Amino acid sequence: MSHDLNLPGSPSTPAIQSDWQSGRLAMQGDSYPENSYELFSQVIDWVEAFLERESRSLTLVLELVYLNTSSVKAMMDIFDLLEDTYQGGREVAVEWRYDPRNERIAELAEEFKEDCSYPFAILPLEVGS
Amino acid sequence: MREQALLDEVLALLDDPSHRDHPLHGALERLYRHHLEQRERLERLISIADGFQQSAQYDLHDARHQLEHQRRRQRKLSRIADRFQELLHERNQALEDVSGQDPLTGLANRRRLHQHLEEMTDDASQPFSVAMIDIDHFKVINDRYGHAAGDRALIALAKTLTASLRAGDLCGRWGGEEFLLALPTTRLDQAECLVARLGDRLRQLDLALDASGEPTTVTASIGIAEHQPDEDYRDTIHRADQALLTAKREGRDRSRRAG
Repeated sequence: MSHDLNLPGSPSTPAIQSDWQSGRLAMQGDSYPENSYELFSQVIDWVEAFLERESRSLTLVLELVYLNTSSVKAMMDIFDLLEDTYQGGREVAVEWRYDPRNERIAELAEEFKEDCSYPFAILPLEVGS
Repeated sequence: MREQALLDEVLALLDDPSHRDHPLHGALERLYRHHLEQRERLERLISIADGFQQSAQYDLHDARHQLEHQRRRQRKLSRIADRFQELLHERNQALEDVSGQDPLTGLANRRRLHQHLEEMTDDASQPFSVAMIDIDHFKVINDRYGHAAGDRALIALAKTLTASLRAGDLCGRWGGEEFLLALPTTRLDQAECLVARLGDRLRQLDLALDASGEPTTVTASIGIAEHQPDEDYRDTIHRADQALLTAKREGRDRSRRAG
């Protein structure tokens, strides 16, 4: 599929890669973009398109660190979208990886996970990787 | 039910052949039909109104549900956003700490010392003193044992200095083998006592650099100055520096008070 995302990321925006073929969407880094709507609407569009056109499972692999309020909201929207899909009987999963030196990120990931009934793993990254 | 009984009675009267020619028969029959129509319309009206009411109830229930959902989301959003805010704040604090730190010894760097002394100067109600400490002949250590050993020696010296200070005192690395002490609420006499104690500790410290096991020791020359009212703290440092030069000139391993 040609409509995969591959955004390099910057100090204020996360790097984003989507892989339609394997049903994976990955995001790494900080997110406090000037225009979070513009950034996340691409991501949400991709997720919606994938869920609509494919019947395969979707996995989000996140290594997000700092999120500003509008980015938190966008992530909640994405997680809600996954929840609806999962309630509809389809497989979805989230893997949130964090630097074990920063346990706070794990706590925040737990907060996000709260209302999600689908598999949502919070995993420490290998130190030094 | 009383209504139905009455209607049944009227119908029976209308159906009775003996009443067919009665002068009221036609009018009663029309009244009877009219009533039935009206009753049917009333029932339809009630049923429509009930339907509306029920769907309004459903809508209300739905709206309440959605509102509750939105509220929950909003609370969750604020909670998470607040925690990220804290995280950012902590990160800034950590950066701030690192930017004021000498990377080798972990002591305050020159930047932090300036900041600290400026704050002490702003609090004009309290006297304070500064002491400039220079390790004697430190170059010899670098030359003889190498720079890595020199770095280890500086770390050990920094530890000894910090361990000898009181709670509010600040010790920073001014440069190379020079350290600056900021001593709050301390007069020159007190500073001199404190510095004498410090000189002893430094003298007793074995830097353990020699492979033969012979203790490696150093001495320090120290200049002390008390901050004068309305004096720029940079001038206080300068006076301490001048006193340090005097201590060096007079043979090192001693402290001198600024004039």
